[in-house]
Amino acid sequence: MKLQRKDVLGLEEMDVEEIRQILQTAKVMKGILMRPIKKLPTLKGKSVVNLFYEASTRTRTSFEMAAKVLGADTTSIAVAQSSVSKGESLYDTAKTIQAMRADLVILRHSSSGSASFLADILDAGVINAGDGQHEHPTQALLDIFTMEEKLGDLEGKNVVIVGDVLHSRVARSNVWGLRKLGVNVTLVGPPTLAPAEMGGLGVKLTHDLDSVLPGADVVMALRLQLERQKSGLFPSLREYSHLYGLTSERLKKTGKQSVVMHPGPMNRGVEISDEVADSAQALIERQVTNGVAIRMALIYLLIGGSANVVA
Amino acid sequence: MLWLKDVWVVDPSQKLASAQSVLVKEGKILAISSSLTDEEVQFKVQGEAIETIDGQGKLLFPGLIDVHTHLREPGQEDKEDILSGSRAAVRGGFTTILAMANTQPVIDKRALAEFVRLQGERAGYAHVLPIGTVTKGMQGEELVEMADMKEGGVVAFSDDGKNIQNAEVMRLALEYVKLTGLPIISHCEDNYLAGDGLMRRGRASGRMGLKGIPASAESVIVARDLILTEETGGKLHLAHISTAESVELIRRAKARGVNVTAEVNPHHLIFCDEDIHLTDTALKVNPPLASQEDRAALIEGLQDGTIDMIATDHAPHTQAEKARPFAEAPFGIASLETALSAVYQYLVLTGKLSWERVIEAWSYSPAERFGLKGGTLKPGTPADMVLFDPGYKEVIEPSNLVSKARNTPFLGKTLQGFPVMVWVEGRLVQRNRMLL
Repeated sequence: MKLQRKDVLGLEEMDVEEIRQILQTAKVMKGILMRPIKKLPTLKGKSVVNLFYEASTRTRTSFEMAAKVLGADTTSIAVAQSSVSKGESLYDTAKTIQAMRADLVILRHSSSGSASFLADILDAGVINAGDGQHEHPTQALLDIFTMEEKLGDLEGKNVVIVGDVLHSRVARSNVWGLRKLGVNVTLVGPPTLAPAEMGGLGVKLTHDLDSVLPGADVVMALRLQLERQKSGLFPSLREYSHLYGLTSERLKKTGKQSVVMHPGPMNRGVEISDEVADSAQALIERQVTNGVAIRMALIYLLIGGSANVVA
Repeated sequence: MLWLKDVWVVDPSQKLASAQSVLVKEGKILAISSSLTDEEVQFKVQGEAIETIDGQGKLLFPGLIDVHTHLREPGQEDKEDILSGSRAAVRGGFTTILAMANTQPVIDKRALAEFVRLQGERAGYAHVLPIGTVTKGMQGEELVEMADMKEGGVVAFSDDGKNIQNAEVMRLALEYVKLTGLPIISHCEDNYLAGDGLMRRGRASGRMGLKGIPASAESVIVARDLILTEETGGKLHLAHISTAESVELIRRAKARGVNVTAEVNPHHLIFCDEDIHLTDTALKVNPPLASQEDRAALIEGLQDGTIDMIATDHAPHTQAEKARPFAEAPFGIASLETALSAVYQYLVLTGKLSWERVIEAWSYSPAERFGLKGGTLKPGTPADMVLFDPGYKEVIEPSNLVSKARNTPFLGKTLQGFPVMVWVEGRLVQRNRMLL
């Protein structure tokens, strides 16, 4: 069964059945990924374009691998994003890609809404690989997939997301997805990085990490953009780490063997200590593996046609 | 000679909102009366030919005066020019428009102001009156030659598009402008608070991940400028007020007798931040669309006179510029052709504003504040008039817009209630939505 949509732009617009279908398909995809010979002819003759306006090694590689395992041809376009006025506009680039008859475009762009913008122009499908501070649906899906693998049904589970939630597309997508699955989500960060307007996401918002750790099944640390300190959003890494860094000492407060996650790349010693990052609690490498499976599932479900090859 | 019979006249300058007959001769209002007989008219015209227009079911009001338009000439004629902008104006019911000074080059010298005025005269539609910058090059540092520019025809001074961040420069401007008797129009925006924000900071910005501009970015400068105006005794007009705090600050300043007026843009009365979609750059505007509470405060402020005027802040841009991801598209809504209709549909028909208040705020008050002709249908004044058909419906489409710009949130939508005849000094310039 294909998804009844052309694009995957965000989890806010996705319904829970679609999310479940993607997670189900990703399970099968992970099985294929774990085979010694991982190559399928399913998407032979289909072309997938990776259009990346922001530097990203892990996400781009993950998409590329996913497409290749399924047999698609991939092309990567890395656009150094300078000023808006220079270079070809996204509109014209989209028209060019359209003319080349790509089947699927993976877009990473620094502007919120750019993926929807591209999807409106293209006949081809679009997968949002991160648009500004808006959404990063494949990251959230792989996070959810990883949580389910470890914890089973997520309904009623407690997930704490800590860090720079204001600027985080990962946090936004996770909130939409997790809420739809009945998870209790709490966003945590200093008032400058977790301000009141984030209450618009409809989840609990707090500035005190230690007070919300008891009972947490998952603690997810977000990557702190170190340049935010220069903008005055927090005074020092030292104080940030003291208040919000995940240490094994702090994690004991959950009162259970909680799962620790991080979308990477990590700032070790800032949002997460070495000890935690390398502990058995941390599922960070598993997240990366599952990322390929999730992306395989999405690519398959969008352009895989009716052939039920993976069943 | 023109005889408009049985038309519902709304003219706050004469406290009229009733059925009248209006006679126009040689570009001026000759008579306005609820009981003109054929004999009286014949006597007044002394044998001259009479064109009679049956005004039943329609409204007649003084031509609207828009104190805030960006006509982009000189320098950015791909967005708009004075001809296309003044054509859009009369199509939308405006007979006088003030042209903002943030062109390329900026209007910071008398010669440039005279050029804008002349281009308006050459175009021959609405009266186009130039606004000069407050500071040379709009750099916010040295004052322009205000007295000389007034001689060249400017009717106000404004660095609109930017705020004068240096409070001392603003204070000096409010002092020096007293030489001219003209107002300083302030674009209230603190650059640090606004940062590179894209929409009003709030739940909607948080949800969409668009960088927010706090309401304080406007309100703190409103407070500053009110204090400086009170201290200097200068004359201040506040452009595009958009927050509840600003309205309250103006209300209190007026109670103290500060020489201030304020305007609000139709889009801030009609839309709010929750209406913004990530791919709809037509609603990307500065100041940004505010919260529902702000919108209610703006309407209340306009009702009670705290806000004196409606002004469009017509900000035309090319389609290519607006066809970009939200963060990269320029701020601005092109609204001369739709603003009156939108205000009628969203605010008059819904009972939030009376016709009398709309015409007062969009014609009479601007004329009073900026010392302009128009804003009235009193006998002897120039016949700048609009005949408005409340039943006329139009789909807003590129093919019927005469502005070069398409950046309106009403594109593809149907609006109801439009000017169907517009006269500038008695000369018919628009009939049945077509320009003459």
